[in-house]
Order: sequence, then structure tokens, then C-alpha cells
Amino acid sequence: MIVVEDLAKTYQTRGGRVEALSQINFQIDPGEFVVLCGPSGSGKTTLLMTIAAMLRPTSGAVYLGQQNIYEMTGRSRAAFRADNIGFVFQMFHLVPYLNVRENVLVAAGAVRKKDAKARTEQLLERLGLQQRAWHRPAELSAGEKQRAAMARALLNQPKLILADEPTGNLDPENANSVLTHLRDFQSDGGTVVVATHGPAAKKFATRTVYLNNGRLEKLS
Amino acid sequence: MMGIAKLIVKELWHRKVNFLLGVLAVTTAVAFFVAFHTAARASERETARLMLSMGYNLHVIAGEADVGGYLMTGVPDQTMPQEYLDKLASQKKISYNHLLATLDGKIDWRGMQIILTGIAPEVCPPGQKKPPMVFEIKAGTAYVGHQIAERFEVEKGQTIVLGGKSLKVERCLAESGGVDDVRIQCSLSDAQEILNLPGRLSEIQAVDCLCYLEDGDPVAILRKQIGEILPGAQVLQVKSLAEARAKQRQMIRKIFAVMIPFVVIACGVWIGVLAIMNVRDRQQEIGLLRALGYNASPIMFLFVGKALLIGVLGAVAGFAVGTVLGLEFGPNIFKITAQTILQPEWSIFVQSCILAPLFAVVAGFVPTMIAVTYDPAATLREE
Repeated sequence: MIVVEDLAKTYQTRGGRVEALSQINFQIDPGEFVVLCGPSGSGKTTLLMTIAAMLRPTSGAVYLGQQNIYEMTGRSRAAFRADNIGFVFQMFHLVPYLNVRENVLVAAGAVRKKDAKARTEQLLERLGLQQRAWHRPAELSAGEKQRAAMARALLNQPKLILADEPTGNLDPENANSVLTHLRDFQSDGGTVVVATHGPAAKKFATRTVYLNNGRLEKLS
Repeated sequence: MMGIAKLIVKELWHRKVNFLLGVLAVTTAVAFFVAFHTAARASERETARLMLSMGYNLHVIAGEADVGGYLMTGVPDQTMPQEYLDKLASQKKISYNHLLATLDGKIDWRGMQIILTGIAPEVCPPGQKKPPMVFEIKAGTAYVGHQIAERFEVEKGQTIVLGGKSLKVERCLAESGGVDDVRIQCSLSDAQEILNLPGRLSEIQAVDCLCYLEDGDPVAILRKQIGEILPGAQVLQVKSLAEARAKQRQMIRKIFAVMIPFVVIACGVWIGVLAIMNVRDRQQEIGLLRALGYNASPIMFLFVGKALLIGVLGAVAGFAVGTVLGLEFGPNIFKITAQTILQPEWSIFVQSCILAPLFAVVAGFVPTMIAVTYDPAATLREE
């Protein structure tokens, strides 16, 4: 379960203080597929990064399970992230000098799971990337890149996948494929949180959270 | 699983130009250093060789001795305490070597004026132990000059008596055409007894090795050095070509003393800039690794490991290039004539393999710290 309590995040910029998030309160139950919606600059990614234990809030708390993740040490938070959270990004963030197989395996470097290689092969097969296993990111289509990123996110069998505009660079067919894979993960008991401003993800959502100007506008 | 070492190698291969430019920077710094030292050490060896080939060129005599008389006869008319030898022999950071103490005296032997010379075993200052340049004369034995041996039919194995002391003739010397033909040489202690001058020396001879270099005139430095140790002694030096070589070496050292730090700093900045460019290129990769749960230490090792590899390869390449340059151009710069004196300086290779990687890591330290402290959220946020 994810609990977000009175969350606020303020950035100090040269132009002054920017309130990215303010008074955010909500809860996500295990097995949910939550879509964070809102226009650009509404604070979706900031909220996602805060839930991901990567961006310390100015005030408030984020509980993953029973733990306030920002009361953990940086090292523990990193270990927690490696064990429990998978990431999918709009820009894929594949390591350019590694092939697809290695890009998936790189996720195992922080947790050192014994079955990482076998599981990589399973994921490549499941996501239709076996023929592309030796290719580098520059040699892949956008859809293949995002599927490689999906495989990387799934490798450590996380409880939660956080996806930031995962379909933003994809055509409708590939977007649907990626969202379907995320729904499969949810069907297997995982929790999915997707930040997007497009409509495609909404049909997969069990719940939608609307953000505007850093404030929670609506829960549905 | 992907080890950090594998990530380093893969990244090097991917960004070959950045990597090769880094290696080139270290190679340049090391090559410059090695080339200079290879040639400079060869120059030092050549100077020492030249000095040795000339024999003892430094003469220390008693302060009150008549220099004119000494230069004409080769025998000082005054003596000095034997402790002077111990004082000179105990000095560090000095510019002389092969200390040979003698006691000379003109005596009448069987109606012939001869020179008796007592010779102490050659000694060297601390840390400058070298094979002796002259033979050692054992106590109770004598080496007899050609004229004396001819005139008195002295032969090897005979016993001769000098001032009441019996000495066994160890050798009769071949004709030299000089003062040695009318000289009998024995041990210093025997000569002191025969001449009734216990604990005294006539002269200390040495080789000015020109090995201690500091700014200034080498002869003036030498006189100052010995003058501080033996205030009551006179120092005479046989001028030599080696002195000019020493001055030239001083000048080249001065030039390199300015150039080496300049080249090393320039190469350090070069590596630093390359490392900064590399970190900037890899911001998102670093952010991703942090998001995947990698700690600061493996990320630091990604950059430190790369710097170490650049340093080691640069050291090896730099040593090879520097040695070739030193061997090729060193003889012209340092006026080295004996090619056999030029050789690779393997001790510098070991130093290079330790210092160059350290240098590369230090040069890339700031960029590495930037990489480690990147806020992963900031690099991955693309809203």
C-alpha cells in the first residue's frame, strides 16, 4: 500500500520559489492501476519521483507498506528501490553502449539476484525481444526500446511499477502494447502508477488522479 | 548480472574518442617526463664516466701548505690531521667521490732521494659506494718505482727496510716516465710510522663527480662544500670538460623544471575537461543507475575505474614513447657521446605505472564527484 500524506514540494529557482506539489493526500492499494493525469507542469513527474523514493519532499510523508521511505538512509532507500520498484520512462533511458539483454540485466546489478539471467531470457521472450537481444538501443524502434525498458523494470519482480509518460513517444499500437504489459503486471498482483497527460492509459486504470498546478484536483 | 568492470569496458569501447584522448593526455605527460629522465640519467652516467677516466681531479691539502711548491713537486710541504678524511667521508649530498688519503715524504734511501707515499684504502661517502679506482696496499708491503728497482736491483718478494721498518716488496712497477719511478708506495699506517707522522695526511684526492647539482658554479659549490667541512684546507681542482657538462645539465634541468609542471598541469586539465564531458554525456545513465538502486560507490567506481585504466595505459604508452624519444633525441640535447650509456630507465616505468593512474584519478576527481552527487530525479525528470 502507498500512502501519501500532506505532501508538498517546493523548488528554489533563480526566478524564485516554485510550488510543484502542495497538500497532496491519497492512498493506493496493492494491485491498483493508477493513472496520474494533468497538463504539463502540473506536478505529475514530481509526484512520481517522490513516490519513487528519489525526490525528498519539502514536507509530508510517503509510506510504502509500513515504512516512511524518507526516514530511511540514502543507502537503504536505494536498496528498497532496487527490490521493490520498477521504472519506465518516456525517453526509455536505455544505456547506449549495452545491448538489449545487457540493458535488462543492468537492473540486477544493484540486487544481485541469482536467477537474473534466466529471468532476462523469459522477459525477452515474453516481450518479443529475443531476436533483438544483441542489438543496441540505437538499432531499435521506439516500441522495442520501451519494451526493453519494460523488461528491465520487471526483472527484479518489483511490487510497484512507476511509469512516467511511457507512451509519450510511441504510436498507438506500441502504446497499447506497453500498457497491456503493464496491465498484465497488475493482473499478477503488482501495483502500477502511470503519469500521463494522454488519454490512452485511462482505459486501463482502476483509478485516475487529476493534478493541476501541483494540487490534487480530483480522484475518480 | 552486469559487473561494474564490464560496464567500464563497454563504455570505453562505445566512447572510443573520449577514451583515446584521455590516454593520449596521460601518454603525453608520462612521455615528456620519461624522455627527460632517460636522457638526463644517461648524461649523469656519462659525466661520471668522463670523470673516472680522468682519474682523481680534486686535491685537498693543508691550509698552510705552499701551493706553488706542491704544484711543482706534487708533494705538499705540510700535513693535516687524518680526521679530515673521516669528515669528508661522512658527508651526504656532496659533489665528490672516491676519497683517497695519502701521506708523502721525501726521504733519502741508500743515498737516493725518493718519495715515500703511504696510501689509505679508498673510501666513499654514504650511499655512493663504488669499486675502488686504485689497488689497496696491505700493511707491511711495498710497491717499488721502476728507477729505484733498477738501481738497487730490487725484486718482488724481497724485504726492504725503510726508516727501520721492514716491508715486503709486493710489486716492482713498470716504467712510467714520471715521478712514480722514484716512489715507493706503502700503506698509510706504515708511511706514518716511517716518516714519524702518526695520524697525519699530506693530501686527500677525490673525483669531483659533479653529481650534486644545485644552482651556481660547480667549482664554487664544491669549494664551499669542502670549505664548510674542512675550514683549514685548500681545494685544488683540475679543470675539466665535465664542468662544462655540469653547467649545461644545470641549465637543461632548469628548463625542464619549468616545463614538466606546465605539461603535467596542462595534461591534467585536459583529462579533467574530458572527464567533465564524459559525465555530462552520461547524466541520464547515472540517473538511471541511481533509480535502479545503485549506490554512490559503484557509480564512483565507474569513473575512477575508467581513470585508472586510462592512467595505466597512458603510463605504458608514455614510457614507451618517452624512452624512444629520450634515446633518439637525448644524445643531442645532453651531448651524450657514449650510446651504451643510454638505456631504458625501468625504475621510472614502475613509478609511471603508479603515479600516472593516480594522476588521472586526481584530474578526474571533480567530475567524478559531480557524477556521484547528481540528483537522479533532476536528470530523469522530463515533464
